[in-house]
Amino acid sequence: MVNFELNGADVYVEAPATMTLLDMLRVELGVKSVKKGCEQGECGACTVLVDGYPMTSCLILAPQVEGRHVCTVEGLVDNPLMKELREAFMENGAVQCGFCTPGMLLSAYALLSENRHPSEEEIKTAIEGNICRCTGYVAIIESILDAAERIAPD
Amino acid sequence: MKPLNGFDLLRPPTLVGALEMMSTLDNSMPIAGGTDIVPTFRDLGSKPVHLIDLGLIEELNGIEEEDGKVLIGPTTTHAQVLASKILEEAAPALHDAARWIGSAQIRNRGTIGGNLCNASPAADSAPPLLVHDAQAHICSLEEGHWIPLQELFKGPKMTVLEKNEILGGLRFTPVKGAGSSFQRIGRRKGFTLSVVNVAVFTQRDGKKLKEVRIALGSVAPTPIRAPNVENKIRGRKMNEELIEEASAASIEEARPIDDVRGTAEYRRDMVGVLVKRAMREAWRRAGGEL
Repeated sequence: MVNFELNGADVYVEAPATMTLLDMLRVELGVKSVKKGCEQGECGACTVLVDGYPMTSCLILAPQVEGRHVCTVEGLVDNPLMKELREAFMENGAVQCGFCTPGMLLSAYALLSENRHPSEEEIKTAIEGNICRCTGYVAIIESILDAAERIAPD
Repeated sequence: MKPLNGFDLLRPPTLVGALEMMSTLDNSMPIAGGTDIVPTFRDLGSKPVHLIDLGLIEELNGIEEEDGKVLIGPTTTHAQVLASKILEEAAPALHDAARWIGSAQIRNRGTIGGNLCNASPAADSAPPLLVHDAQAHICSLEEGHWIPLQELFKGPKMTVLEKNEILGGLRFTPVKGAGSSFQRIGRRKGFTLSVVNVAVFTQRDGKKLKEVRIALGSVAPTPIRAPNVENKIRGRKMNEELIEEASAASIEEARPIDDVRGTAEYRRDMVGVLVKRAMREAWRRAGGEL
């Protein structure tokens, strides 16, 4: 039995060690924003925040989040920073198929939580583990810069 | 994709607990961040592997200074290395290398001990630690011992660790008036394995190289030091001619192979280029001018 905090709620899941955090979230708990892409830690579609840090959930074994805080975009629906990011992504056309978007948003959220005025280079570093095959990154980087300006206009 | 299978996971809270499991359980294997090994758990043999998770063992994590030495716990993540003021000051090459390992997600999860014990010839942590003359602590239920890091590597994906042993820590002695640099070439800039990586350590005595150490990665079965080059240039006056000489001599030390990431010929040429860049930066960081 794995006990951890998911988006602020205490959850218990019967999960074997061979189950990844990704499958525990998607299959056992029905959190479908966490996408299954490469299953090798390369594409970033399965990114979640563990104790606030972005990690690829396909590389984490379910029992390894015992007692930890796991956060997905569902847990940040009402978060003001995430709201700005979401709106900036929509307005700048940073979403096409949407498969990379939840992971991309979480990486951007983690960056802006630490650094309210990131440079373009810092944004590229923060999202280098999130592959987008539709928009080509320019609109995504602009959206993150845009959201940063909205939350900290000075 | 095929589900993970063929293992169970044990999470001992203490180092002694982990070592007891390692020595008593048949077919055991330590796991830290898992970023390199979890994807390999789809094709394990029919005999179940006991994974010993080192993640809960506090004494294996963190960076500290003690008795004039810097100690790095094996489960210290690349993100922790990158955030460490101690390492930025005492081992800038290692600090720089951490930036280029994996992606943000991988750096938050992957560990320095895992990077070394996975024993890839291209491991970015290795050349910086080699030029800082780092030692590795070999831990078992018997008394532990320190070995030069170079001796940890036996071949591609092979270390000298026995079945009942784990890498318990890393240490090196910070040197005053010294600087180090890490340089790499990948197929693209971010989130890619090194095609070649190089670290150089220099210590200054006025305009002379009091001490110099050069390490090369991804050009031999293990990361290597280049002692022939070091001996040739140690004690001499640092200038562009000496850098050219070291660069040419380093190419002779490389024994690269052709593989999917690059040809042997390209790797040899790039060793020359990266040694120059690293020597210049290490020298400047040691307070020297060119």
